[in-house]
Amino acid sequence: MTISVFQAALIGICACLSSMPGLGGTTFGNYTLGRPLIGGLVCGLILGNVPMGIMLGAAVQIVYIALVTPGGTVSADVRAISYIGIPLAMLYVSSAGLDPASAEAQGFAVTMAATVGTLGTVLFYGTATVNLVWQHMGMRQVKQGKLKSLYIVDMVLPWISHILCSFIPTFIICLMGSNMVQVIKDYLPMDGLAMKTLFTVGSLLPAVGVAILLKQVVSKPKDILTFFFGFTLCACMNVNLIGCAIVGGFFAVINYSIRCLSIKQAAAPALAASADDDDEEDI
Amino acid sequence: MAEQTKKLSKKALNKSFLNWFYGHLTCFSQEHMQTFGYMVSMLPIIEELYETNEEQTEKIQTYSTFFNTEPQVGSIVVGITAGMEEARANGEEVDDETINGIRAGLMGPLAGIGDSLVVGTVLPILLGVALGLSGGGSPLGAIMYILVWNIGMFLLMRFMYFKGYELGGKAVEVLVGERANAIRDSIIMLGTMVIGGVTAKWINITTAFKMLNSEGGVIVDLQQTLNDVYPSILSAAFVLLCWWLLSKKRLSPLIVMLILVAVAFVGVLIGFFDPNLTY
Repeated sequence: MTISVFQAALIGICACLSSMPGLGGTTFGNYTLGRPLIGGLVCGLILGNVPMGIMLGAAVQIVYIALVTPGGTVSADVRAISYIGIPLAMLYVSSAGLDPASAEAQGFAVTMAATVGTLGTVLFYGTATVNLVWQHMGMRQVKQGKLKSLYIVDMVLPWISHILCSFIPTFIICLMGSNMVQVIKDYLPMDGLAMKTLFTVGSLLPAVGVAILLKQVVSKPKDILTFFFGFTLCACMNVNLIGCAIVGGFFAVINYSIRCLSIKQAAAPALAASADDDDEEDI
Repeated sequence: MAEQTKKLSKKALNKSFLNWFYGHLTCFSQEHMQTFGYMVSMLPIIEELYETNEEQTEKIQTYSTFFNTEPQVGSIVVGITAGMEEARANGEEVDDETINGIRAGLMGPLAGIGDSLVVGTVLPILLGVALGLSGGGSPLGAIMYILVWNIGMFLLMRFMYFKGYELGGKAVEVLVGERANAIRDSIIMLGTMVIGGVTAKWINITTAFKMLNSEGGVIVDLQQTLNDVYPSILSAAFVLLCWWLLSKKRLSPLIVMLILVAVAFVGVLIGFFDPNLTY
């Protein structure tokens, strides 16, 4: 598998659209195109191997299943993960002759994506910094009453930031990808300590992604039990994820009803105090 | 001077909503974050309510103060201010401070609700289900995710925007009440269970450690033993370890990842981990 100039350019445009702050908007850009699973589909389509793209993208997705950017702090950059990491992983997996469904191929994809994702935060800060220029221009225009230029500042000029910080890096790295992959293969043998560690890291990293998510939803120790309830359903009882979501939904409804009852109960004494006491004697 | 009441047209509101839906983060910087997105979405409103360029210029600058929240849930704030701006244009006493008070006051809580509920719970559940449909490299899960997430979010954001417009300043009570908390906790409960399921299905940490006797026969196959105790126990153990490091030790995700690299290195050295690979 190689990446042509045209393919690299397409991937580069996807990088512009998908990043946070991306030109595809938050919902369709960051939270759709930027997700590694979707990135896998898109890269698979562009490079002509959808199943491989999906399998590797799905593996990477676990690590970033909880990629939230609170207050604009970014720990990993989605454009780098999905549109630099995944294409490189696809190149490597196909040239090493690995089965994309194997734990090894997915482990490699995960490590590759995590590495470029972390390095890629540079791209995020780069884009945001270039945008500062447009914003300062925009503030001046608004003070002068040229309100329509807000559209240009908000939706057109950021393309320049993205061409500099998303398109060009992605384009170049994807084009040089095959050479880089060859270098990796020549200098790092599979049965050496480095590659063994690399693949092992790939299998361990998804645990961090899930743990970040867990940190957000667990507020008291008892919530860990809820986690193990879901885990037990899927690990011991072989329920699939949709089944797990349905069982979870059932318990969520019960929980909501109980909470509503207690809200009513808390409100009831206040009502009873003001209302006639007869009602209670009837019971 | 008898002035007729100004009422925002559906067209202006729709345009304002679409500007927010698309443009809230396109021009992001650390200094202003969503400020420009906010101004762009208020522009159709301001243009319709005020005639002269001077007035428009003055009013749009109400929104030039810093704004940042979870943008999807946050579309309700834009709706609220559209409602307030309409009231102001009709001579009600709404000043810049009232509007910016509401904006600043809702930014934090909505970011909390949006990040934990929408991005932290609904999105992972949807992705989890999509991953379940991706077996064997099938694009079905990804396609399902694209459709459900985008249509769902568009409708949710539209609903929030127009609800905000309708309620104006009253929306604040709806957003931070007991019942809202009950819904939130219940959805988070569902999310926690699905996270458990995702751990079981998608994390695959196994040990290669085997204890051999002098003839090379296996005495203890550690992975087999662990499976008999509780299937996939290593995966669960690593998630709990990472969770403990993140939340109790307050380490950053990057540090935790580096710790895992060290764990992997030592594990490979002592033969606990071995991916068994050749080119």
